[in-house]
Amino acid sequence: MPIKSYLVHPHDGKKEELLQELSTMASCEVVPAQNMEIIALVTETETKQEEEVLKARLESIKSLKLLALVSGFNTPQ
Amino acid sequence: MRKRLGIISLFALLFIGFVVVWNYSYEQGLEGPYIPVESNSSRTLIPSESGVFRQSENALDFNQMPIDEAHQRSLETYYDNRAYPGAPPSIPHPVQKERDLGGNVCLQCHQSGGFVQKFDAYAPISPHPEMINCRQCHVTQNTKGLFAETNFTKVSPPEVGVNNALPGSPPMIPHLLSMRESCLSCHVGPSAPKEIRVTHPERINCRQCHVPNTVEHDQIEVFSRNLEESYE
Amino acid sequence: MQTTLTDRRSFLKKMAMASAIAAAASMFPGIMFAAEQEKGIPKNANLDWKKGPCRFCGVGCGVLVGTENGKAVAVKGDPNSPVNKGLCCVKGYHSIMALYGKDRLTHPLVKKNGRYVKTSMDEALDLIASKMKETIAEHGKDAVSIYGSGQWTIPDGYAASKLFKGCIGTNNVEANARLCMASAVTGFLTSFGLDEPMGCYEDIDHADVFVLWGNNMAEMHPVLFSRLLDQRLKRGVKIIDFATRTTRTSTAADKSILFLPQTDLAVANAICYEIIKNGWVNNSFVEKHCSFSKGLTNMGYGLEDNYTFTDKPEKISFEDYKTFLEDYTPEKVSKLSGVSVRDIKYMASYYGDPNKKVMSLWCMGMNQHTRGTWINNLVYNIHLLTGKISQPGNSPFSLTGQPSACGTVREVGTLTHKLPHGVVMNKEHREFAAKIWGVPAENIPSKPTYHTVEMFRALDRGDIRFMWIQVTNPMVTMPKLKRYRDGAKKEGRFIVVSDVYPTPTTDIADVILPSAMWIEREGMYGNSERRTQYFEQMVDPPGEAISDTWQLIEVAKRLGYEKQFPYKEETHIEEIYTEYRKHHDNIKHNMAPLEVLKSQSGAIWPYVDGKSTKWRFNAKYDPACSNGEDFHFYGKPDGKAIIWQRPYEPAAEEPDNEYPYWLNTGRVVEHWHTGSMTRRIPVLHQAMPHAYVELHPDDAERMQIKTGDAVRLTTRRGEITLPASINERGVPAPMQVFVPFFDENILINDITLDSFCPISKEPDYKKCAVRVEKA
Repeated sequence: MPIKSYLVHPHDGKKEELLQELSTMASCEVVPAQNMEIIALVTETETKQEEEVLKARLESIKSLKLLALVSGFNTPQ
Repeated sequence: MRKRLGIISLFALLFIGFVVVWNYSYEQGLEGPYIPVESNSSRTLIPSESGVFRQSENALDFNQMPIDEAHQRSLETYYDNRAYPGAPPSIPHPVQKERDLGGNVCLQCHQSGGFVQKFDAYAPISPHPEMINCRQCHVTQNTKGLFAETNFTKVSPPEVGVNNALPGSPPMIPHLLSMRESCLSCHVGPSAPKEIRVTHPERINCRQCHVPNTVEHDQIEVFSRNLEESYE
Repeated sequence: MQTTLTDRRSFLKKMAMASAIAAAASMFPGIMFAAEQEKGIPKNANLDWKKGPCRFCGVGCGVLVGTENGKAVAVKGDPNSPVNKGLCCVKGYHSIMALYGKDRLTHPLVKKNGRYVKTSMDEALDLIASKMKETIAEHGKDAVSIYGSGQWTIPDGYAASKLFKGCIGTNNVEANARLCMASAVTGFLTSFGLDEPMGCYEDIDHADVFVLWGNNMAEMHPVLFSRLLDQRLKRGVKIIDFATRTTRTSTAADKSILFLPQTDLAVANAICYEIIKNGWVNNSFVEKHCSFSKGLTNMGYGLEDNYTFTDKPEKISFEDYKTFLEDYTPEKVSKLSGVSVRDIKYMASYYGDPNKKVMSLWCMGMNQHTRGTWINNLVYNIHLLTGKISQPGNSPFSLTGQPSACGTVREVGTLTHKLPHGVVMNKEHREFAAKIWGVPAENIPSKPTYHTVEMFRALDRGDIRFMWIQVTNPMVTMPKLKRYRDGAKKEGRFIVVSDVYPTPTTDIADVILPSAMWIEREGMYGNSERRTQYFEQMVDPPGEAISDTWQLIEVAKRLGYEKQFPYKEETHIEEIYTEYRKHHDNIKHNMAPLEVLKSQSGAIWPYVDGKSTKWRFNAKYDPACSNGEDFHFYGKPDGKAIIWQRPYEPAAEEPDNEYPYWLNTGRVVEHWHTGSMTRRIPVLHQAMPHAYVELHPDDAERMQIKTGDAVRLTTRRGEITLPASINERGVPAPMQVFVPFFDENILINDITLDSFCPISKEPDYKKCAVRVEKA
């Protein structure tokens, strides 16, 4: 069960939009920075495949400029 | 004749030189160990403020250090090897060289900290690494027993979480600052007691927000104007 | 097993989030996450958070004030404010406690037979109005005056200017900002023709090198200094502290360079000499955008009553200027200033390096200077010669010390020669103001009267008989204080003081009015970066206290100016601000409408087409540029900024055999100005309970003085005794001493000198000669 954390950079002025989108996704947990255009994101998925699907989905979000991986953990099923 | 004159003048010179040197050294001897005070001071100025920034170049690294919950210190035991809050802690482990000031031997671990396998703990960072006669204040504990009972009572240390004036306002500094000016030494990193580990080491200029509530040598009273009686 | 697994998962998730936040903090110092902000605030606290600017220094941090049951109970930094990005200093975090001192003034007090008697607000206002009428009838219009401050909100200052200049018809309007930024104003006007910095705080995020000219930012502008430190961690910028005293800033800086008092003039010229000698001049910039001038020299120091000075500018050529600089080789200047040749060249090389963006920052060190206008000019010279100006990161930046020194005093123009738009000497400007004010243009006199020091001299002489003092404490801050205190106490003077606490200034008052302070009323402040910020009323003022604006309006009505002051009590702030905006209705100065100020953390003027102008004079950012070039210094008729030939001249009073030390005065981080507010905040008083005199350790050793010993300071004005401080907060250079001025029980200004810059009329609190003895 992979758990990964990212720093997400939105496109200029699109922070709110991105936040909306991310918080509707079930396997994502977000904490936005209050004074900068950055969002901390933690994802939790059941399997490696799911994780890859989720990542692809994240990267297809239009308001998202950059997804930077910070840390990753894996727990036994 | 010339040769003799030369020899005589050589001896004369040597004699004069001897008198001059002897006089000089006699004068020197009279002055004894006197060090002239008037000479240009090469004293390095250490305002008590400078320590605040001492560990600052490491601030970002501190921020990235993982929290090792298995080995972190806690205030519960922090004061155990201090006679009173603010007293120099005793050394809770055997020392390498007994015939030594401390200095580099201690600083190997206590200047920058780090995990020590032998003691299964992180070495606390010294807030005053420039003072190298460590063993002047920090002694080892070689026995648990007492020579005679004491009536000394340990004052309770300052508490955590009660030092802010307003909800959410930055806590005041509840301890004296001398020799502890380098805030980052004790308040960040894996050796910092978990209760007082700061969340924002990258801020550096600590005393912009946190001011001491214990000013040395001062009985502080509530500020009040000496109101003239004329105010009704 | 299931539970431990979920525990472990939630723990891992927490860890993952913590590491993401920690990573963000290390990559973007200063970043704030919601979780962090809420820490320490009780979960169940039902606080109502409202935004406003901090009430202390000129940085203008955005704060969020939490109120509960009609009382302000908590403060946090406003994460949306581009000024402080969520961080405050210790004063800001505890600012609301200044509202609740036990000895708050709650009712008007009128002096009767030497005692202060409680009266109603109506009675007190009636008395003030009748006294004003009486004084005008007996001694003329120029016998009444108002003395305000850079803590006046914009509407306070506007009402004062309109009443005194427009309605009564006297230019006796001054403010304590004369004592803190008049030299910055004249510096801007002489070099660029328009006041206030061209850049903004965002420059900090772009500059590579910061040169602090006599500016202890770590204590005086701590939140901005933290932005510098953030940038150092993030981008490795260089911070150079160029000062006369070793301070918290020096210990934090990459390089600390000490110079002898007053010789900053010579060092600045030496830097220009080096720039020219090494061919670092930006020739095309200088050719297109700069001209050269010189003014009169040997101006004097304003020590005598009725001293006047008018500069006579004269155009010179670049060649003349180069010849003038021959006297300022680093070798010559090094001897005078005590700065090594290497350090002069070091600073010059950063200014000269075309690949380095340089920001110069200064405040009182350069402004409270008998040649304050000159040293401001000289630093602009450096930036103009190298073309490092009006671009992100290339910025000469004059900081201010009060929350609205810019917003109220400089922009509303509460100085004797100023109008909201322009100056009283200009007929068109007078007509323009009179039209908006609804008064005949002839009402506004065409001649300025008294600047601050001269105004208190006039009070002493009896030329001024009535003075209304609002939001300031001159009986602690005037230089050579004893003369002015004795003068104010003379028979036949009537003094009104509006304040929130009893102070040494209320001690000399005939009427004391209780004021509503900061968030007990509605208003706006304007900070150092041309940012205007609005705050609403969040709590009720105590007792009968009312805002300074409303006090002025009530008196204006009693004087018969209902027509000019028709404002309603509920909406007067909005009405006044809307009226005030008309004065600045042009693309060079347009102010943001009130709705904008209410909706965001302030706006920077000129506010044009719904946008703040961050960099003036730069065609890329400033729509007022109209010459088709990259830069347009449109404040001057020829569109060119002026590089001034200004020499070194000695200070008004230099140490001699009898008085062998330099005396310097200033502030500390805990207290703001005279401490009338901050000393009533327990946290701050406990951290800094009284004033002291800092000595160099060598001087202290010679005189056998140690920290805490009583030391007597004697100048030609008098003597005081206070405890010594050695190697504590700051360390002055040998043969110099420093005393903070916040302590009303140790009035250091009793012994300072009232010399001032002949052009700006701003006194020099940083230099006079003093004798130091163990008491």
